[in-house]
Amino acid sequence: MGAAILACGGAAPDWRVDAGGVRAAWGGPARAAESGKQAKGRIAVCAPDEDTLTLAWEAGSRAVAAAGLDPDAIDGLWWGTTRPPFAEGPSHAYLASALGLRPSARGALLSGSTHSGVDALLAAADAVTAGSVSTALVVASDALVPGLGTAFEARCGAGAAAFLLSASGPATLGPVATHSRPVVDRYRGDGEEATRDLYDARLFREEVFVPEIVEIAGSLEMPDDTRWSLPDPDGRMAAAACRRLGGELASASVFEALGDSGAAAPFLGLVATLTSPGPAGVVAYGGGRTTAVAVDVGGPLSDVADLAFLVGGREVSYAEALRSRRQLVPSGETVEMGLPPGGAAFVRGNPEMLGLLGGRCVDCGTISTPPSIHPHCVSCGGPKLEPVALARTGTVHTYVVNHTMPAPFEAPLALAVLDLDDGARLMVQATSPEGVEIGADVELVLRRYALERGVPVYGFKARPKPTTRIAG
Amino acid sequence: MWNKVAVVGAGLIKFGELFDQSYEQMAAGAFKAASEAVDFGFDPSLVDAAFVATQRGTLWGQEGVGGNTVPSAIGLSGIPCTRIENACPSGSDAFRVGAMAVASGVHDVVLVIGVEKMRDKSTEEGLLARAAAGHPIYTRGETAPVLFAPFATRHMHEFGTTREMLAHVAVKNHHNGALDPYAHFQDEITVEQVLESPPVCHPLHLLDCCPQTDGAAAAILVPAERAAEFTDKPVYVGGFGVATDHPYLHEKSTFVGLPATVAASQRAYEMAGLGPSDVDMAEVHDCFTITEILDIEDLGFVEKGKGGQAVLDGETQLGGRIPINTSGGLLAKGHPIGATVVAQLTECWWQLREEAGERQVAIRNGIALQHNVGGRGSGVSVVNILTRPVT
Repeated sequence: MGAAILACGGAAPDWRVDAGGVRAAWGGPARAAESGKQAKGRIAVCAPDEDTLTLAWEAGSRAVAAAGLDPDAIDGLWWGTTRPPFAEGPSHAYLASALGLRPSARGALLSGSTHSGVDALLAAADAVTAGSVSTALVVASDALVPGLGTAFEARCGAGAAAFLLSASGPATLGPVATHSRPVVDRYRGDGEEATRDLYDARLFREEVFVPEIVEIAGSLEMPDDTRWSLPDPDGRMAAAACRRLGGELASASVFEALGDSGAAAPFLGLVATLTSPGPAGVVAYGGGRTTAVAVDVGGPLSDVADLAFLVGGREVSYAEALRSRRQLVPSGETVEMGLPPGGAAFVRGNPEMLGLLGGRCVDCGTISTPPSIHPHCVSCGGPKLEPVALARTGTVHTYVVNHTMPAPFEAPLALAVLDLDDGARLMVQATSPEGVEIGADVELVLRRYALERGVPVYGFKARPKPTTRIAG
Repeated sequence: MWNKVAVVGAGLIKFGELFDQSYEQMAAGAFKAASEAVDFGFDPSLVDAAFVATQRGTLWGQEGVGGNTVPSAIGLSGIPCTRIENACPSGSDAFRVGAMAVASGVHDVVLVIGVEKMRDKSTEEGLLARAAAGHPIYTRGETAPVLFAPFATRHMHEFGTTREMLAHVAVKNHHNGALDPYAHFQDEITVEQVLESPPVCHPLHLLDCCPQTDGAAAAILVPAERAAEFTDKPVYVGGFGVATDHPYLHEKSTFVGLPATVAASQRAYEMAGLGPSDVDMAEVHDCFTITEILDIEDLGFVEKGKGGQAVLDGETQLGGRIPINTSGGLLAKGHPIGATVVAQLTECWWQLREEAGERQVAIRNGIALQHNVGGRGSGVSVVNILTRPVT
């Protein structure tokens, strides 16, 4: 195959839940020692303003930044996720726009199972090999909603990983092996809210999962020092498969930190192997399909700092996680957004909201945000403004923490007035009140501002930089 | 001083959660109160035009509220009536426009009336619903306190203003409100109660915020030369000013002052030919405690940054150097938006006529000032100056 990885990036959501606590809520043993290894570690859960699109944006942005590329140079986006934010709709176009890719970028949204991430990788690699795309961004992200009370619930995590592919690069994609079997594993029927767990975990393990992984990955005939990124539906199966394959299981730390991040899991495990040269193998499983890809890592593509997202996160209660996944909802009416999310204001405004655009005055240089509501400069009144992408970093000039709002708003909500590094001033929500204070350094990250009449609405929020968070 | 228009009658209904009164009944009550306040009596049929201030109808299930609602409700259907909506200063602007209508000679006897229903809906469905209005990103979550709390945060940061200083504004205004039979709240409160009240929008707590209040107030304006037909204690319109600023918070040039207030007051002072040191008392927009501190600085009563200390030192209390919000202000009297201003003007009218009872302050120069600021981003301010010749 003529495709290689130029750069990579990963992301995890803000929240972590103790997996033992989830089991305990249903009467199961709270601690891993009491339950084999079923409920080990923590699981990553999206905060209410995160979803598979915001995770994909963050991982994708990190990969693009790591490559030092202008996003406009990327001419293809392949995105794999089991749950795109629109079941039908402009998911791919929103992500491409928020990443700043050229509107002519090719690519596809792959979905339907946790195999979708590797589907995206192979499709992008084929396009790069064929020469129809020169630089492809591949993103896998997932944040499944598990059935309540299932074993999967204490295992179900979230995360995202992204790779930039081109014809040559430090890590070359090698042979691929794939195999399909018409079996039901985890699935969700049309119109169902939550993913159903395995019908019979032992049946799946003995008859499907372990034999498939070992046979398909084994067919690549990888060397003994291969670092494997393997799927791990229950916290034991990856280790069992790896013992039979030989080599090192590089993905265990990712599962322990985040839980099962679905389509993103094999990619996150691969990111963890890209810290040093040598052979690597990535295996994806989902929906009865197994695919193994050999990767020859010629030089380090990521370092420990790039994996910091694995150890971060804020501990939240099981109830908060349920609320964030919309499995626990308040009674009564919620307040509707003043504008319908499919209406003209969004047709006009989405590019400037997703792209975080301002209008720079050609006369005095002041930036007015956003351009569509500023035909004239807020400083000198001049009529000539050119659209510019706003700086993504700045400091807090002043802020509030709103404690009093009707549903669907959730208190406490910090709103911060920012002085951006390009001189623009902006008021946006903060991802959390924690660390928000005058003078705090912040970065702007894509978040879901609302789920309005079923439609996600995205924009940028201020997130205090880690150094500030530690200091604060 | 301009003094081309006289205010010959002013009055209001008792403010509060008036669940038993309709918008129309409140309007009728306010008109009656203003009519009965005219010293030599008042024939309602003399009114030849009305300007009504109602900020929004959605709080009581109406979309727009046409100018025809009020004349019908007060028994004057048929007269010209225009609704003025200009955010929190809607009533000040209706008063200004009414005064201009009289001064122009187009109308002779003009009724300015502010009416607002704030409590026909729950807080969640009513005022707080604005959290979801406006721009889907840049104003999302922006309830009313969000418009002022960032100024408190920054004022504290730059000038060392404290929550205790803010609390003293509320304590003072509740003290005044306890002396005002028309006030929504008529109880004294303590600094500790303000500090320990629940957080609403950091750094503002519950007692830093004005309540949700129903109410109505009215004033009767005539040409200055006709004032003697109605009263021997006329109060005149000495001047007024209006100014706008950008509507979004991120467009503010400063978070320690409100440029619209500065500009509106400068225009009003210039029109009246006087300055802040000439003012005997003022009714200013204290929707939140921080707002009053910004106001007294921006209106020129106190140096910028010293507002909190001035309140602490008692400069703005009854008997202080410049008594502020003798009626109890929005914090204690209440803030039925369109009616708020006309009620502020009524307090100024009473003070200038030395009819304010226990709240009466010393009238040295015969000058009172009324101020509002509001709208998205505090982008509109109106200042009216009332005068009464001191003999």
